Amino acid sequence: MTQVARPAPRRLDAFELPSEPGNERLALARVAETVQGLGLSDSRLEKLKTAVAEATMNAIEHGNQNRAEIPVEVEVTQHGDEIVVAISDQGGEAHPSDGPAEDPDLLKKLDGEQSPRGWGLFLIRNMVDAMDITTNGQRHTIWLTVRTGGAAHGEHV
Amino acid sequence: MASMCEATTRALPGAAVIELSGEVDGSAADVLTNAYQSAVGTNADLGTVVLDFAAVDYINSTGIALIVSVLARARAERRKVVASGLSPHYREIFDITRLSDFIELFPDLDGAVSQLTGPAA
Repeated sequence: MTQVARPAPRRLDAFELPSEPGNERLALARVAETVQGLGLSDSRLEKLKTAVAEATMNAIEHGNQNRAEIPVEVEVTQHGDEIVVAISDQGGEAHPSDGPAEDPDLLKKLDGEQSPRGWGLFLIRNMVDAMDITTNGQRHTIWLTVRTGGAAHGEHV
Repeated sequence: MASMCEATTRALPGAAVIELSGEVDGSAADVLTNAYQSAVGTNADLGTVVLDFAAVDYINSTGIALIVSVLARARAERRKVVASGLSPHYREIFDITRLSDFIELFPDLDGAVSQLTGPAA
């Protein structure tokens, strides 16, 4: 069987943050700095920043239950024309933020049939080219993939 | 957590403007609720609330939830909500969440105000 050679992933950065509300801003700023110059358009960079902030917020609040001593781990790697940001917490299989797959419905929210909240995962899914979730024991990781160069579907360039 | 969001309100004929600055996140709940209350006051005839985001540099999912709550309250009170000054990124988020189906978006506050108050005589 012929395999298409893929470039080896290149680790660009790895860091930890205490699980304290507001630290998602630190994650987004550091990831934005790390991916600078890798060919992401301004629009795609803004989307990645929003996705990183939302995923980190989920990891802090839902995964690690705002327990500062349990770190959120962030790793940024480049795989050819893809940038992958992995955000890990210790929320395990029953991660509350993975929740029901039902998309938020604004009309239901306005009519009081759904909570006004619940936009986090929906936003993440719409901000990146791929979103994957894995668990390994208690370790819960959300993988955010964005492609550099070119425009995503519906993107303004 | 101290809020990094500030709001100033001002009245126009038939409308009120809430100019937001800083970060619209979960910590902005009281700021936004109080600003709405202050903008609307006891004026049952106030038809439109303008949310100006020109000086806002960050909105997260909890901030979106707060905006949904403001919109829900305004709708219940039969008031229109319009928004101005959103960056292209946050305009897109208003589109994705469908907030822009219910909140008319203007590029800037002057445009929103001139639309609301009508052309100068």
